[in-house]
Amino acid sequence: MLKDFFLIMPEIVLVLTLALVIAGEITYYGEQTRLIAATSLVGLLGAFVQVLISYQYSASQVFGGVLSIDGFSLFFKLLFIVSASFAIISVSHTREIALDRRPEYCSLILAATLAMCLLASAADLILIFVTFLFLNIASYFLAGYGRKSVLSTEAAVKYLAFGAVASALLLYSLAILFASTHSINIYEMHRVLLASALPPYEMLIVFMLAFLAFSFQIGAFPMYLLVPDVLEGAPGPVSAFLSIGPRVAGFAVTIRFLVVVFAQPGASAGNWQVLGAIDWTEIVSVISGLSMIFGALLAFRQKSAKRLVGYLVVVETGFMLMGILVLDEIGIAAVLYNLVIELFALMGIFYLLAVLFEKVNSDRLENLKGTLKRTVPECICLIVFLLNLVGSPPMPGFIGKFALLGVAIRHHRLALASVGVIAMVISTVSVARLAYSLIGDFQSSTEASIPVSFSRKAFLASLVIPMTLAGVFADFVFRWAGQSLSLIFW
Amino acid sequence: MSNHLISLMIFFPLIGAVLQAFVPNARSRWIALGASICASICGIVLVMSMHTQVADLQAAESLPWVGFYAISYDMAVDGLNALLVLLIALLFPVLIASEWNQKIGVRGMHGLFLVLQTALFGAVCAQDLFLQFFFWGLSALPFFFLVGIWGGEGRERASLGAIVVASLSGALIFSALVLIYYSVDPHSFSLRELSGGRLSGKLFDFLGVELPISGAAFALMSVGLALRAPIWPFHGWFTEIAQEAPSSVFVALSAGTVPVALYILMKDCYLLFPEILGSAAQVIVGAGTINLIMGGLCAVTQRGLRRLLAFICLSEVGLILMGIGSLSPTGAVGAVYQQLLLGLAVTGFGLCSGIISDRTGQSIFVNAEGERTLGGIATRAPIVSTVAGIVIASLLGFPGFGGFVGHALVIIGSYSIHPVTVAVAGGSLLLATYYLFAMYRSVFLGKPASGFQAFQDLTIRERAYLFPVVTALLFFGLYPKPLIELIRPTVLTLLSTIR
Repeated sequence: MLKDFFLIMPEIVLVLTLALVIAGEITYYGEQTRLIAATSLVGLLGAFVQVLISYQYSASQVFGGVLSIDGFSLFFKLLFIVSASFAIISVSHTREIALDRRPEYCSLILAATLAMCLLASAADLILIFVTFLFLNIASYFLAGYGRKSVLSTEAAVKYLAFGAVASALLLYSLAILFASTHSINIYEMHRVLLASALPPYEMLIVFMLAFLAFSFQIGAFPMYLLVPDVLEGAPGPVSAFLSIGPRVAGFAVTIRFLVVVFAQPGASAGNWQVLGAIDWTEIVSVISGLSMIFGALLAFRQKSAKRLVGYLVVVETGFMLMGILVLDEIGIAAVLYNLVIELFALMGIFYLLAVLFEKVNSDRLENLKGTLKRTVPECICLIVFLLNLVGSPPMPGFIGKFALLGVAIRHHRLALASVGVIAMVISTVSVARLAYSLIGDFQSSTEASIPVSFSRKAFLASLVIPMTLAGVFADFVFRWAGQSLSLIFW
Repeated sequence: MSNHLISLMIFFPLIGAVLQAFVPNARSRWIALGASICASICGIVLVMSMHTQVADLQAAESLPWVGFYAISYDMAVDGLNALLVLLIALLFPVLIASEWNQKIGVRGMHGLFLVLQTALFGAVCAQDLFLQFFFWGLSALPFFFLVGIWGGEGRERASLGAIVVASLSGALIFSALVLIYYSVDPHSFSLRELSGGRLSGKLFDFLGVELPISGAAFALMSVGLALRAPIWPFHGWFTEIAQEAPSSVFVALSAGTVPVALYILMKDCYLLFPEILGSAAQVIVGAGTINLIMGGLCAVTQRGLRRLLAFICLSEVGLILMGIGSLSPTGAVGAVYQQLLLGLAVTGFGLCSGIISDRTGQSIFVNAEGERTLGGIATRAPIVSTVAGIVIASLLGFPGFGGFVGHALVIIGSYSIHPVTVAVAGGSLLLATYYLFAMYRSVFLGKPASGFQAFQDLTIRERAYLFPVVTALLFFGLYPKPLIELIRPTVLTLLSTIR
């Protein structure tokens, strides 16, 4: 029992920090925002260290199988904590969120991080559902945090409406699963399903309901409609957090749920095969292809920079699904590598778009014209992040895309891989459009350049340097991802 | 031989590009030029220290990079790429010097040139397919910015065209790469391990159709490279850039990436697909012949220096393709030699035409009514006229100039195999003599057009950067022996694996 508490130390640290932050927020008035942010960061650092310490224990289930603490969940916890820290630091560089609302923002970020950490290791239907709701409620609030912005309110309402539908779908799916297996633990459920599989139609319905709910969380094809709206409407730092926090948590729960409930270990180690009569990988492959194509084509037509990036995120999701549907450890390791790259790339993109938004008060492509001349370092970083996101050849993101396309080809999904390559080309061209609008009329513009503050340079460096290192030492990251998977508790 | 000259040569420019971004303009230019020259010295020392009469890879450096996917940092030089190392070593310091007085964003332009130098050195020396593609992909991006920022009126169209073509070509080559990688067991990107017909007879299934891997990979790769090379009918973006880009940028494109694209085509085809090369060579020769004809015919109708250069480049590419496809030792050696000479001659031509259009504000030499708009430069600026004359003589392959050796070898090598194409090549050379001399006459000779008076001859800086180009053109024309000795063993070994 005591060991169980040790294993959930990261979550405990997060809860304590959250409590401290809320207490501080209530008791103090005035200029205490820095203190609150500092407290949150210290708490996140503590949780980070705790996660690293947890690596020494072998994979285990705690509290009677409610949570499964394994390499897989630890990997995701590290990502969540890092993205939350970036979200908290970046908000102090932008003015989109009013000063007096930042303490609340910090507490919402911490709450969402707690929910994500739990979701990544949840192995229990009820906990999955509760943390799913917990995470999304925090996200709705965050999306509506823009100051006096109609778009932000609209984003929050749309998010809420879609979220309600998604939770209902998830609830139905979980209810059917519970009714037919009489178990709320996904591992026990796996054993029951192995012994007596569900009838195909029931399996199909359960799968579709659950997958639709998850595709809301990760922004895949049928539920992608809200992604660009939310990412466009929410304030910059929040868009960054939503695209790398809750969405990544969605990947964690999707992978665990699909692999444990709908698949069984395959003939060779590190491989799974579909459980039951329905080959759902075909469904996922269609969804993946449609996400890539729709995302890429719609991104190409956008006139708003944030919206364009929102559609590129949908393309990314399509790519990741390609790594998941092959049911192969190498594929999932490739997904994890891409998530690491995305963490830095998307954070940087939304942060810089927020910074540019403050300067020109718009994120329309035609209004961004000529910003390169005024802020050279920021625009160069933005272009580098964008190229990383779409996986243009010399960038670390390209290694990730290669890994994903590679597993698809290895598993003879050539058509899907071709769709992926086409999507990559179209998204590169969209990025070129955005980059060209930044260049604008470079030669004749006479606007003075705006100096970049030291703290902003430092923040950008803290994104660019790890991202570049992840490309140079790609081998290390791949091995780490592979190791996280080998420690997994299936 | 365990020195790190190759790595130094590749990463010097990159370090320079980063460093020069953080210092004021006055000093940044010296850092940029210094970094480029340091890299070039490494490259030249590397080539001079190579053993002749050896076919193996030399100065090899190898260390694992992404072991998870068997990708390694594997660099070496041999007879095939040594000349391109020389070309790139010569090209980029010259380009940086030619943009010395750029008023707008000089650090950005020099930085992009340096990145390009790194990319091309890397692509040329890489002995691992992934690494080669990695650097080759890097070489596409700078052009988008170089054209998009410093281009002329139609730069938006030109730069977007460049990026569309580059990403399409990247996607095609990348698909070929992944196909090749997964077709061998254990999976590998190493050119050494993949060479010698490892792919022969392997099939893959695409939408229910069985296709041979080597055929599909060859098709994907050659179309991908043809997009960037440029090979007719994929050259539209190239002429667009010729029209819009600053002359130095177009020189970087046509004298830097074009020979490298042809080199990659030659190397990868010879190494990876020996068993289908018999029929593939016919396709390559066919493409080359069409390029020669189209390049020549289009060049005749041009009235502007910029587009004229683009079409000259197109027909030179055709000649090199003929050499590659001839599969005869002489023709292949000629193709390798001509890659270097194409680069040098295009550099000379592009820089001269850049100087002329900078001074006169126009690059059109005959207006729509057929009247000349320039003319009589020779009497007022003898040095620039001499340089232009040497460059043109080399492009035409006059004996004693660099182009002669390349042209002669390609034609001799192809004669016994494809006599018809040789006739086409001869015809196109005659055509080139006509249009180049017509151009030379209306720009440099005769009386100046009305309203065109003052023309300053080359300044010291311009002389300094044109000097190495002209010297190299003359030297390689008069004394090709050392370089031919360097190329020959490697080419012979490669061709012996095909037969």
